[in-house]
Amino acid sequence: MGFILDGLDVEDYDRSYGDRELLRRIGRYFRPKLPAMVLVAAMIVLHSLTQSAIPLLISWGVDRMEQGSVSDIGWPLAGALLGIGVLAWVFNFFRQWFSAKVTGDVVLGLRTDAFDAVLERDMSFYDEHPSGKIVSRVTSDTDEFANVVTLTMNLLSQVLLVGFVTALLFFRDVQLALLTMAVTPIVMGTALAFRRVARRTTQHAQRSLARVNANLQETMGGISVAKNFRQEATVYSEFRPINRQNYAVTLRQGFVFSGIFPVLFLVAGLATVVLVQVGGSSVLGGRLSAGDWYLFLQAVGLFWLPLTSIAAFWSQFQQGLAASERVFALIDASPRVVQEDAQPVGRLAGRIEFRDLTFGYEPAHPVLTRFNLTIEAGESVALVGHTGAGKSTLSKLITRFYEYSGGQLLIDGRDIRSFDLREYRRQIGAVPQQPFLFSGTVADNIRYPRPDASDEEVRLAAMRVAGGDWLEALPDGLGTDVGEHGRALSMGQRQLVALARLLVQDPAIVVLDEATASVDPLTEAQISEGLDVVLAGRTSIVIAHRLSTIEHVDRIIVLDHGRIIEEGDHAALLKAGGRYCEVYNTYFRHQSPDYQPGTGFVPVAK
Amino acid sequence: MSAVTAEFTVAGQHRSDRRGPVRWIASHLRRHPLVLFAFLGGSVVMVVLNSMVPALTGAAFDAVLGDGDGRARELAIVSAALLGVIVLRGAFDLVARLGSETLAKRLEREARDELYVSLLGKSQTFHNRQRVGDLMARAANDIRQLSHMVNPGIDLIVDSGTQGIIPLFFIAVIDPRLLLVPCLFAVAFVVALWHYMRQLNPVSTRMREQFGDLNAGLNEAVRGIEVIKVTAQEPHERRRFAVNATRYRDSFVRNGLIQARYLPPLLLAVAMAGALWHSLTLYGAGDLTLGDVVAFMGLMGLLGFPTFISIFAYSLVQLGIVSARRILTIMNTETELDRNADGHSGTMRGEIVFENVTFRYDDGEPALRGVTFTARPGETVAVVGETGSGKSTLTKLVPRIYDVDSGRILVDGVDVRNWNLDSLRSQISTIEQDIVLFSRSVAENIAFSLGQRADRADVVQAAQDAQADEFISELDDGYDTVIGERGVTLSGGQRQRLAIARALLTDPAVLILDDSTSAIDSATEDKIQAAIGRILQGRTTLLITHRLSQIRWADKVVLLRRGELVDSGTHDELLSRCALYRRIFAHYDEVDVPAPVDGVEATGEVPGEMTVDTDGEAGRRTSANSEKAVAGDTDGPEEAVVV
Ligand SMILES: Nc1ncnc2c1ncn2[C@@H]1O[C@H](COP(=O)(O)OP(=O)(O)OP(=O)(O)O)[C@@H](O)[C@H]1O
Ligand SMILES: Nc1ncnc2c1ncn2[C@@H]1O[C@H](COP(=O)(O)OP(=O)(O)OP(=O)(O)O)[C@@H](O)[C@H]1O
Ligand SMILES: [Mg+2]
Repeated sequence: MGFILDGLDVEDYDRSYGDRELLRRIGRYFRPKLPAMVLVAAMIVLHSLTQSAIPLLISWGVDRMEQGSVSDIGWPLAGALLGIGVLAWVFNFFRQWFSAKVTGDVVLGLRTDAFDAVLERDMSFYDEHPSGKIVSRVTSDTDEFANVVTLTMNLLSQVLLVGFVTALLFFRDVQLALLTMAVTPIVMGTALAFRRVARRTTQHAQRSLARVNANLQETMGGISVAKNFRQEATVYSEFRPINRQNYAVTLRQGFVFSGIFPVLFLVAGLATVVLVQVGGSSVLGGRLSAGDWYLFLQAVGLFWLPLTSIAAFWSQFQQGLAASERVFALIDASPRVVQEDAQPVGRLAGRIEFRDLTFGYEPAHPVLTRFNLTIEAGESVALVGHTGAGKSTLSKLITRFYEYSGGQLLIDGRDIRSFDLREYRRQIGAVPQQPFLFSGTVADNIRYPRPDASDEEVRLAAMRVAGGDWLEALPDGLGTDVGEHGRALSMGQRQLVALARLLVQDPAIVVLDEATASVDPLTEAQISEGLDVVLAGRTSIVIAHRLSTIEHVDRIIVLDHGRIIEEGDHAALLKAGGRYCEVYNTYFRHQSPDYQPGTGFVPVAK
Repeated sequence: MSAVTAEFTVAGQHRSDRRGPVRWIASHLRRHPLVLFAFLGGSVVMVVLNSMVPALTGAAFDAVLGDGDGRARELAIVSAALLGVIVLRGAFDLVARLGSETLAKRLEREARDELYVSLLGKSQTFHNRQRVGDLMARAANDIRQLSHMVNPGIDLIVDSGTQGIIPLFFIAVIDPRLLLVPCLFAVAFVVALWHYMRQLNPVSTRMREQFGDLNAGLNEAVRGIEVIKVTAQEPHERRRFAVNATRYRDSFVRNGLIQARYLPPLLLAVAMAGALWHSLTLYGAGDLTLGDVVAFMGLMGLLGFPTFISIFAYSLVQLGIVSARRILTIMNTETELDRNADGHSGTMRGEIVFENVTFRYDDGEPALRGVTFTARPGETVAVVGETGSGKSTLTKLVPRIYDVDSGRILVDGVDVRNWNLDSLRSQISTIEQDIVLFSRSVAENIAFSLGQRADRADVVQAAQDAQADEFISELDDGYDTVIGERGVTLSGGQRQRLAIARALLTDPAVLILDDSTSAIDSATEDKIQAAIGRILQGRTTLLITHRLSQIRWADKVVLLRRGELVDSGTHDELLSRCALYRRIFAHYDEVDVPAPVDGVEATGEVPGEMTVDTDGEAGRRTSANSEKAVAGDTDGPEEAVVV
């Protein structure tokens, strides 16, 4: 059977909580709703009272009828029944309405917290966990949690009902009441036995839903690859086992939940048989009135059905607990990036200092080892080196996406770990190579870092990137819809928007990670002219594979396997004839329009 | 029945009836007659047995309250009968419940399968319009809603419906006149229910839509988390999420309010009072025994369950129908392409001809306008132009990701619209600008292009050609290293090289490289190019790049500007005659510093020399369009105004 569960393992931040702790935490979400809850509870009590009043009324009627006085009780009895029914409806109305409010609010609260947690997780978390699964936790699992809330409300009413009926029964006849109660342990025992299975099968079902979500997200997001290679069949063949697994797993869960009711119902039925026989004998023996006997038979309905619901509740409740466990695990996942303090940052000058810094995405494979580099405030620096040298890694450390394991990273001489992170990041402008745009218009995206920026500011920022020529190619200029992830723009246009976005942000430190790699040389040249002006007075770090981009910086740093092997400005480095010249010879030399094969080498001293 | 065109279909798939949500669901449920029978049959028998219970208790009453000596024996017989009924009831109950559960989950499985295949068959235009998060909500949650609709929804309706109807027969047995009240109640119930469903429908629809929005917004935030963090816009995103979540909550509460106003329980109370009064009247007239009254009231009491449970059950059905409608909307959306199974298929030589091609996305400005050029088999054609000039768009038309609006594209002399889509696309490999890798092992990512049907040696070979082998072997588990979603754990250059390996593996007749080496240094790029040249000897290549080192290799350069073809010819020709071309590349990398000491001491790889590789055949033709050469230089002074 094991294969059914393949791929449904716990994720590493999953943890199991004790029922008590879970309940305590769930309770916390209910606390602010206390007044509404009290109201709901009151309505439930009243509603239960009306429900238990009905058999009482009829039993009283039956006793009367036996005595033969039908005519004078007919009207009052029917009237009372109607009155009680109307009251019950009114109570139920308020109960449902307010419990919907409570449920809605509690789920909203949990969802918001889960989303906050999503925003708090650092980048390593996103490297490790498919976002489809994360999404599934925030929406699907919290939805499942809503069931707990509804169920809890129902439970309360059932418990009350059982309480009333029990009291009533004992009041009438202790012996029969005890008999009625005798089956209770059996019912509860059955229910608790189901509980374990219920929790486990639910966990599996939720995980498998997360898998479905993750698969959907990946394939629908990457549908163009499937189209390009005409591999729809492969994609489909990968989806099928996941869907089939989901079927197998949810069917099991369904069997547990569907099976529990017939079983409990059977137990209740058997108890009815006993009551009919024993109760009937008692009436025959004269120890019980016919009315009481009727009452006890009614009690089966009124007593055991809620009792079975309570019993079934335990297993259904597990469903919600399993879901909330997954949500809490997301909320509690421990961050790797740890700020020791949250000091106000103030306006940064932009001096960056790596001091003996050691970092690896996995501790076993350091990308940087005892790395030292100082970038002065206002300086512009270019990083060159071949792929995987660690250029982007430096920028990700500056944006504090990852936690380093040794040494120090100082900004303006202060430890980066002591900053108020949000305030700090607001002064960092980073443009990644594959810029992400949010759906909305171009203007929305440019305005993103500063939602209060005026239309004029947005337009200015757009004009400052390559003179704004690119806007003319867009059907609606700044109002063009960029589509999800910016799909409706060309790659270069997305980079241009990301650059404009950076200008609106007005950062003290700018990191351009191949920010113009997909832009044609002409546009790029226009960009760099504009950028020179914009970047004046800011610290900037540029990563590029094109000479034109790096030529004009103050200092070029050549990286190799996480180490600096050369630095200096363009002219000096070329003169020095070191590694940069090699880089020049191999990377840049033949990019010139006037290039002739075999010419233009810069001598390398060695 | 489903006449919707699709780029992809699965042979032998069940053809469902997609004309409406109810028919659609029914057509799926009908596929499992046995299970359906177990469910419906089991439910009916179970309910019949169940309603015998009050009758038997009534009999017990009569036995006990009657006179004569055999009262105890009579009671015992009644009890024994009751026992039998209850055990049987349990058995049928179980069969019915498990039956409906199976039905529900099968519906879920098959509906999701169908939706998935349908999504795969939709065109790129369609997918451009979709939000992935919303698709996820439909395929995961809406479909799960279908399952909830069957169980517990329909299950409860069948169960409680029969429970509501069968007591009527027993009541009729006691005295047909007693049917008056329950029948009136039934009519009122149906009317109230109809009203309820009508009120609920819009709210449920809104709720499911808002769930989709919530999911889509969330998904986008998760994907864009890097931007959110670096711009410190968490509060903004939080607000945005809160708005969506609150909307959903409001609909939920509204839904609750409508449920709270559900009338049938009130109607039942009236009915109960009426029934009591009616039966007492008859009792008073001496037409009923006391046992009859008790039994009748007991049977009336059985209506309580269906009445109370119907709120829950019908709300689930309503949600299920709404969800089904959402799913059908997707499946029934017409898209423009089909797989064209009868179309031309055959081995591709690789001749590509654009004839006056015009294309626009949606209804906007044309992204391509009257483009005409030819790529002979085996030629390398470089497509250059400014950002947004339509280069990527042009390449997407060749494998017919989109259809042209006017003009035509011929591959091997056959219009792409007349090609069998399988045959066409599988012989053209594109390395897209926007690289998508999947979160699985490196080897599987590369082998994806062949549907995982490649052996390890081929995969390694492709990786070597793409210069990816080196870094792959440095990874922890080599080719079995699982990379993160969208390849985030790889550097930009590493990602591109995997994508190149993936494309090279298929050994295509036409290769399209869309800016696929922008993050790769030129040295590595040259090696890749050399490998491509070797492997794809005689294959046609469309190459988009901004690097002169690459462009020089091309047999022909096509220059685009704002979707129009400005000029085409060899690099040298364009350089000498086309102002726009010169302008684009004028800024390119050249140092004015060094004293040119010719190549003497050059260390390491000197890829400059490799350029001769493809120079051989494929003559250089002058383009028919060269008269447009001037067009490029019209827009004002060199230095565009930049602050
Ligand atoms: N999120 C990550 N998790 C694990 N390893 C990573 C991650 N990102 C990068 N790496 C690894 O760290 C090393 C340095 O990567 P980095 O992205 O800094 O290179 P780079 O110099 O920017 O290269 P490129 O020029 O190709 O962008 C590479 O070997 C890469 O595989
Ligand atoms: N899916 C889409 N929907 C609507 N418009 C689009 C879509 N994709 C591209 N466009 C528009 O079509 C035009 C051409 O885009 P295309 O991607 O072909 O440019 P490109 O030449 O490849 O540019 P780049 O060099 O930046 O990659 C652009 O103006 C772009 O905004
Ligand atoms: Mg493009």
